[in-house]
Amino acid sequence: MANARYVWTCWKVNLAAAMEYRLSFLLLAGMMFVNNAIWLFFWSLFFGRFPVVQGWELHDVMLLWAVSTGGFGWAAMLFGNFPRIAGIVATGHLDVYLSQPRPVLLSVLVSRCSVTAAGDFLFGIAVYLMVGDTSPRGMLLFALGLLISGMLFIAVMVVAGCSAFWIGNAEGMTQQLFNSFIALTTYPSDIFRGFVKLALFSLVPAGFISYLPIGLLRDFDPLFAAGAVTAACGLTLAGALLFRRGLRRYASGNTIAMRS
Amino acid sequence: MDGESKRWTAAGRKAAAVGRIAFRHQLAYKTDFAMRGFFLLFILFVFIQLWSAAYEGDFSKSISGFTLKQIVWYLVFTEALTLAAPPLCYRIEEEVKNGDVAIRLIRPQSYAGYHFSVFASEALTRFIVHLAIGSAIAWPFVGPPAFGYGWLGLLALSAGALTVTFLLLMLVGLCAFWVEETSGLYFVLQKLQFTIGGMLLPIDLMPEWLQRVCAWLPFQAALYFPARMGVHFDAALLAKQLAIQIGWIVLLALAVSRMYRRGVSKLHVNGG
Repeated sequence: MANARYVWTCWKVNLAAAMEYRLSFLLLAGMMFVNNAIWLFFWSLFFGRFPVVQGWELHDVMLLWAVSTGGFGWAAMLFGNFPRIAGIVATGHLDVYLSQPRPVLLSVLVSRCSVTAAGDFLFGIAVYLMVGDTSPRGMLLFALGLLISGMLFIAVMVVAGCSAFWIGNAEGMTQQLFNSFIALTTYPSDIFRGFVKLALFSLVPAGFISYLPIGLLRDFDPLFAAGAVTAACGLTLAGALLFRRGLRRYASGNTIAMRS
Repeated sequence: MDGESKRWTAAGRKAAAVGRIAFRHQLAYKTDFAMRGFFLLFILFVFIQLWSAAYEGDFSKSISGFTLKQIVWYLVFTEALTLAAPPLCYRIEEEVKNGDVAIRLIRPQSYAGYHFSVFASEALTRFIVHLAIGSAIAWPFVGPPAFGYGWLGLLALSAGALTVTFLLLMLVGLCAFWVEETSGLYFVLQKLQFTIGGMLLPIDLMPEWLQRVCAWLPFQAALYFPARMGVHFDAALLAKQLAIQIGWIVLLALAVSRMYRRGVSKLHVNGG
């Protein structure tokens, strides 16, 4: 309960900080909205030339972007530090969070709100309202899709970020993984075959996001849905445990810093 | 040698010296190169999968004059050119924000000329490296880039293409003299290059109305011209596209020069 109150307070403070520069907030969020819209414009041109690619149509790719950007949006707004864990560990900035009487990983994650992510989240919602199934069942499935997608983004980056506890400066590597993971979640999973497709549902579980428009929203497949929920929950748990183990190895030079 | 030609020779020497330093500077950041190389390999792999699926793996099928092989190599060329450009807007913005611009302005070399020397040196090195990396992935998937005089066409138009890119970035970067924060404008420029510049999709594959719009904009001269010429050599078209590039370079250079003169006159820097 105390943790829930703490998280709620952090979110309120983050929102207040973002609203301090309201114009900048609107510009950055709007910019991300435009960025995503331009990508969909590209996909509309692509599907104008090739109407069906491996069973995927423009409508499916729009739903893919709705789930992917929406999931990333809420994750980065509420737990904005998830792509930065490697940097925080490697530079010794974890000291600030260790001194707080709250779970360290939770403190790290909620202490930042990505302003641009608001544009991603709104874009995801807007696209779904435009092309998705707005019946109660459809909305519930979309909400589940957002939850799975956001949890996977956080979990994958927490696991990757934890590598800094063992190998030191892993910032560049995790940044590349982050960019690649995001890219993979925005392309239809069925364009990949063989080993790569297998890797998408195991090593780099982006397939659990990029197949959501088909396996969850279009032709509900209980097996896929169960697999995606298990992957999201399992990886979240793995990330938390790995972070805990990594903390035992953590050492720093007593960094004195202020959270900003 | 008269005074005017001495001045030009000295300017050329200074530009070459700055270019040499920028080249050596790049060699010091091998990790940076490796990271960009990895991303290029990754994104090209995704594109190859996407376009192979679109063409259903059929190497003989031609759509709007492009076979699968030509599309893949076209993407190698556009990606190599896109990733070749250093973050010029960010650099100018930082110079204005932290006052370093004051040091640049008192140097005996033009401000735009200095940035062009650095840009040209970095962009050419990166372009060659990215071409090699892109070839390493495209070759095994779709075969060698045997497009007749295509390589000649690509190289002939790439210098102009990178110059157009430099001038477009300079226009956006110089906005920092007025607004300081240029990332939003850069962001829009980048996305325009991705789409109507033909980075992700050759302009020939776009709808007729959009092709007509693209023909009036400078973005196609920066990416589409060299990449298309690389896979579809056409001597008559090469001359026409070179002329268009020169036209855009003159126009954009005039705009940069005018903007710089207006911007620098209202710039206030303390320290630096």
